[in-house]
Amino acid sequence: MQAKPKSKPFSWFSVINTIILTLAALSCLVPIIHIAAISFSSSSAAATGIVTFWPVDFSLNSYQYVIKRAQFWQSMLVSLERITLGGGINLLLIILSSFPLSKERHEFRARSFYAWLFFITMLFSGGLIPWYMAIRQYKLLDSIWALVLPGAVPVFSVILMLNFFRQIPKELSEAACIDGAGQWRILWQIYVPTSTPAIATVLLFALVGHWNSWFDGLILMNNPDHYPLQSYIQTIVVQRTYSMLSREEIQQLATISDRTLRSAQIFLGSLPIILVYPFLQRYFVKGIVLGGVKG
Amino acid sequence: MTKKSTWRKLVSAMLALALLSVPVLSALGENADSLSKYDPAIDIVFVRAVDNDLTSNVLPQTPNETIESNRWFDLYQDELGINISYAWTVQGGYTDDAYKQKINVTLASGDLPDVITVTSAQLKQLADADVIEDLTGYFDQYASDLTRQVYSDEGSSVLDSATFEGKLMAIPNLEASIESAQFLWIRKDWLDKLGLDVPTTMQELLAVSTAFATQDPDGNGIADTYGLAITKDLYAGCMGVEGFFAGFHAYPNFWTTDADGKLVYGSVQPEMKDALTALAAMYQNGEIDQEFGVKDGGKVAETIAAGKIGIDFGEQWNPLYPLNQNYNNDPTADWISLPIPSVDDTAVSVPLKFRTNMYFAVRKGFEHPEALVKLVNMHLEKNWGETNNFSWYYMPAENGNTSVWKFSPVTPYPPYKNLNAFLEIEAARNADAMDTLVGEAKVIQSNVDAYLAGDGSVWGWDKIYGVEGVYNVLKAYRDNGQLLVEKFTGAPTETMVERRATLEQMEKEMIVKVIMGAASIDEFDKFVSDWYQLGGQAITDEVNAWYASLSAAE
Amino acid sequence: MQKLRRELPLHLMILPGVILLILFQYVPMAGIIIAFQKFIPAKGLFGDQKWIGLDNFRYVFQLPSFTAVIGNTVVISLYKIILGLIVPVIFAILINEVRNKRFKTSIQTTIYLPHFLSWVVLGGILIDILSPSDGLVNRMIKAFGGSPIFFLGDNKWFQFTLIFSETWKEFGYGTIVYLAAITGIDPNLYEAAQIDGANRWKQTLHVTLPGMKMVIVLLMVLSLGNLLNAGFDQVFNLYSPTVYQTGDIIDTFVYRIGLLDAQFGVATAVGLFKSIISFVFVSVAYFSAYHFADYRIF
Repeated sequence: MQAKPKSKPFSWFSVINTIILTLAALSCLVPIIHIAAISFSSSSAAATGIVTFWPVDFSLNSYQYVIKRAQFWQSMLVSLERITLGGGINLLLIILSSFPLSKERHEFRARSFYAWLFFITMLFSGGLIPWYMAIRQYKLLDSIWALVLPGAVPVFSVILMLNFFRQIPKELSEAACIDGAGQWRILWQIYVPTSTPAIATVLLFALVGHWNSWFDGLILMNNPDHYPLQSYIQTIVVQRTYSMLSREEIQQLATISDRTLRSAQIFLGSLPIILVYPFLQRYFVKGIVLGGVKG
Repeated sequence: MTKKSTWRKLVSAMLALALLSVPVLSALGENADSLSKYDPAIDIVFVRAVDNDLTSNVLPQTPNETIESNRWFDLYQDELGINISYAWTVQGGYTDDAYKQKINVTLASGDLPDVITVTSAQLKQLADADVIEDLTGYFDQYASDLTRQVYSDEGSSVLDSATFEGKLMAIPNLEASIESAQFLWIRKDWLDKLGLDVPTTMQELLAVSTAFATQDPDGNGIADTYGLAITKDLYAGCMGVEGFFAGFHAYPNFWTTDADGKLVYGSVQPEMKDALTALAAMYQNGEIDQEFGVKDGGKVAETIAAGKIGIDFGEQWNPLYPLNQNYNNDPTADWISLPIPSVDDTAVSVPLKFRTNMYFAVRKGFEHPEALVKLVNMHLEKNWGETNNFSWYYMPAENGNTSVWKFSPVTPYPPYKNLNAFLEIEAARNADAMDTLVGEAKVIQSNVDAYLAGDGSVWGWDKIYGVEGVYNVLKAYRDNGQLLVEKFTGAPTETMVERRATLEQMEKEMIVKVIMGAASIDEFDKFVSDWYQLGGQAITDEVNAWYASLSAAE
Repeated sequence: MQKLRRELPLHLMILPGVILLILFQYVPMAGIIIAFQKFIPAKGLFGDQKWIGLDNFRYVFQLPSFTAVIGNTVVISLYKIILGLIVPVIFAILINEVRNKRFKTSIQTTIYLPHFLSWVVLGGILIDILSPSDGLVNRMIKAFGGSPIFFLGDNKWFQFTLIFSETWKEFGYGTIVYLAAITGIDPNLYEAAQIDGANRWKQTLHVTLPGMKMVIVLLMVLSLGNLLNAGFDQVFNLYSPTVYQTGDIIDTFVYRIGLLDAQFGVATAVGLFKSIISFVFVSVAYFSAYHFADYRIF
């Protein structure tokens, strides 16, 4: 299927092209490799800035420290719980919402009303405080549901999905309709099975979105033990001021050179994604293309 | 008359300082209610910031204790019948963004815990909104004598700062202002190497700085050393510029009095200019890191650790961070503490910033506002009172000398405890009676002893409390009457709240620009007029109105 | 009636989503009122707040820093939008020229990677590798004899760093749609061009690019809606007070003035201002997309 511009087997162009693409690809890998190398180096080597792409003075100290750090693992668990629950709920709601929205107006008269209802939320929000107060009012603060429910309907993915649904030939559902199938059956038995790429795509968006969110965790959780991993990493990466330190804090600063430790946690925090996304690639490429929207 | 009242305050501050020599604060004549137990027990809900020290140092050293179940909670429960819990906790200090954003959403949502730990600005808002209890009566009735004494050690300023229209609306979490005194830290080994004397005037110090930058004090043949350490934040307890400015009798970021006894903001006074010019010359001359404008404390500390900087203005704890990192890498690095040198014949006044910045307010309608006062009483009593058990509740040796006192949600302390400890140690040393030391002084001396016995990891303690320790300098500051207490201790005024961020940013930008030579010294004059125009004048008026109300009340 | 019954399942399907949107989006929207109040947090959302009309808007517009904030936002996002279009197009064309399938797949997989990492993680990484004293990038610059650049702390460089790193993060991912567009081009067109004697460059110019035109125009128009979104996550995790001058954008400004300074009224006013402007942009964008490309979002 691929359009192949034909020309001679060897050309300077393809050499240069290969070099450019290789450099571009390397630019995406090198930072991660560098961080990993630092995390496996001794803290003195890391502090003197001699580590590049391979650990200098190999050491597992920072990993030993991270492994003992209960908070890191608790956050990891929260994140896993979050992506499982959040991913599932997102997917369900995306499918359920986009099917009616993919109908033409004569098939579903309230479609425009609902479409606007969804669309407006992409543009306007009441701001953080009212949002926080609503979540508090629903008694969700400090629970996993606070991280999952407020963003349960990702409108962007709904759009992607409904565009995909639209491309499914009408004949299929019409035939089923004649056979007496209701809307629910049409959705689950015809639309969903034919939409695997789109479903994989929106699921991936949902999972990655939940994994990478950090701000809501900081605001909505009442205890650092309940932070998802990215919120936790955010708290250790932020800079601190030196104007109001107690003597004891100062002592502690002095004993830990935390560059390797930070690198280890950054690396561990991104590892699951690095491991998982290549396998989903096939699906999401297809899904994005057919959905016709970029995420 | 204003002049006179200023003097009176100075004198009373001196007197308070002089009282310090009383080793253990008296707890006689206690009123019966101050530590009485609730039966049945009551519940009280706080919020708190859990700082790094707690998570990384204290908790690992206290295996069976947690933030919500520990020796302090047990104490409060057993002796006072008060069960403490937290509505929420965040990681970081009370002044970090994490706490700020959490407390702001909590305040905005109106869902207050029983006791809320807030800044003076938030306290003022809460007081204005009439959602917190007036604690005046409770403090009068329940504060122990020790608590009363501790809260008046810095004069009336600490309680004044939480008082609105004559009502005490919160218990301040007292922080010692005297600890903000700045010193000159300098590498003696570099001085010796270059054959220089210890600088006693600003001119000598500037010459030393030049020598440090140009005469290769680290002897590696490369011009990679600097004189003075400063960071992009400019004002800080270490690697800051405030000490340097004080040498020029300029007090940036500080409310002081002018010749008429009116309060004025130090950063816009003409004395700033000479100091700025001097800094700009030093930068030009390569005596200041050319990148300082983007380096935070952590980065500059790395430069110090690498042995590239020889002069640092900062507070007493600097040998514990960052100077010790230099020593750790290079045991010949010998940092000594000196008084800030003066640019002329007038002795330097050392600015003491008002340090108390967090307040415990009680939600209106909470049934036992006095419980807060009792907690404060208990905290002070168990650490510094007659029945103290310092070695269990403060920094127990068996827990690696970590700060278990931080388990308590209220943590005021006697403002002169460190200087006191030093004086006790000095007295014991002179009397050759070290074994008579108790409490904090004993813990401190054990660190100094460890250093003298060869343990380099506690080098900083000797630099602070040892024979040549920095507290000698502080004592001299005090004895010579060089301490200049900040005069404005009230809550931020209305215009401050609105404009301070903008004005501070302008101020820092101006200073950085002038030092880096990106603008001439004339930029300072422009800044001053801009500052007054963009809210500075209003702020000055408000601050003076506050000051006048204070004198009127006395 | 029968029609209603036929549509009932559709209503039921969409109901959960609608309920959640109402609970978590529409209910909080009532909070927009505080944009018109002198909002004092301690009094609570429904407390006795003072109504001040448009004072919050007036206040923020007279702040000298706010003009800069708007300027930064537009400049940063405009560059991001432009580069976010051009760079992926170029790379899509380059990748399409690769004939070794395995190489092609590995390149694609690798360049998608940064898209999936959060700005928290990337922020941590960038802070480290861009450090002026011992960061990887500056060590390379020094090795080539240059003097170190303070990418994250120098106002001359900060915007560049933001734009470059965003483009770097997203360029690979952006190629997906364009590669698909190229795939969709009729192979006969290339053959015809070859018969006409067009070399590869000419083929790209006259066949590939025109074949992608629709997609490019469409994405360009749609991205206009993001003109005021310069990327909160990125800026927040990379900036510092030194570079507020060039790096502070509307969203970070709202965050600071709202959450840290507790001036919620002002913060909400700025947020509302942004929403309204964005609404106009988005409407124009989607209208044009519908008009020119027959693309409809819903």
